[in-house]
Amino acid sequence: MPTDQLSRTFAALGDPTRRQILSRLAESEATVSELAEPFPVSLAAVSKHLKVLERAGLIERDREAQYRPSRLQIEPLGAASDWIDGRRTTWEERFDRLDSHLQTLQEGTNDDG
Amino acid sequence: MTMADQDLRIERVFDAPRELVFKAWLSPEQLAEWYGPAQFTAPREGIVVEPREGGRWELVMVQGDTGREHPVRSRIVEMVEPELLVLENEALPDHGMGVTRTRVEFHDEDGRTRMVLTDGPYETTIGEMAGQGWTGAFDKLAAAIGG
Repeated sequence: MPTDQLSRTFAALGDPTRRQILSRLAESEATVSELAEPFPVSLAAVSKHLKVLERAGLIERDREAQYRPSRLQIEPLGAASDWIDGRRTTWEERFDRLDSHLQTLQEGTNDDG
Repeated sequence: MTMADQDLRIERVFDAPRELVFKAWLSPEQLAEWYGPAQFTAPREGIVVEPREGGRWELVMVQGDTGREHPVRSRIVEMVEPELLVLENEALPDHGMGVTRTRVEFHDEDGRTRMVLTDGPYETTIGEMAGQGWTGAFDKLAAAIGG
């Protein structure tokens, strides 16, 4: 994976319309007009979003078929969520320590009367 | 399936009153006890906390096996004792992090404390770093994720 793939993935995920498009594609592949249906925006605007998602490697579009249906690509999402999982683990580890620290602190208070 | 959220959100209930949990975030002695994640320590001498809005909130995480130091520099942007603490964190290019905010809410639940932490945004973070050409950090990031 190129070093800036993750930044493209996160940038692409930073837009709510694009996240909704991906959610829709998680169900099944879809054409531009199918994807545009729930949004109050033009087909051209949806096409632009699809280009961003395609560059980010989040979707794949059929070059041959007339309507070029889009399909979700899971791999970059996995890399992005792995990275976030790492951050989550760090915080969970801190919380574990905070938990035992607070217990020690309260035991100490009780012992001192 | 869920899409990556802008912020990381974690909740946990601690069996301690929220005054105590809140104070654990502002006392240098206490931060030294818990803030380093597994394999890290956060020595007391590296910790500076000015417990007020606009005050510094800084520490150094030391990697247990290599002794490598990772400074964390933040400012307290909101502080409502014992309910809320918001930190603005300076960028940590070595960790693949740009400027982020850590928001910690302390909710009283019959003498116990539900702590709700949000940390982020991560995608802005990485986007900003790309703009600033921190390619070294990206190499490490790519290596870390097996890219």
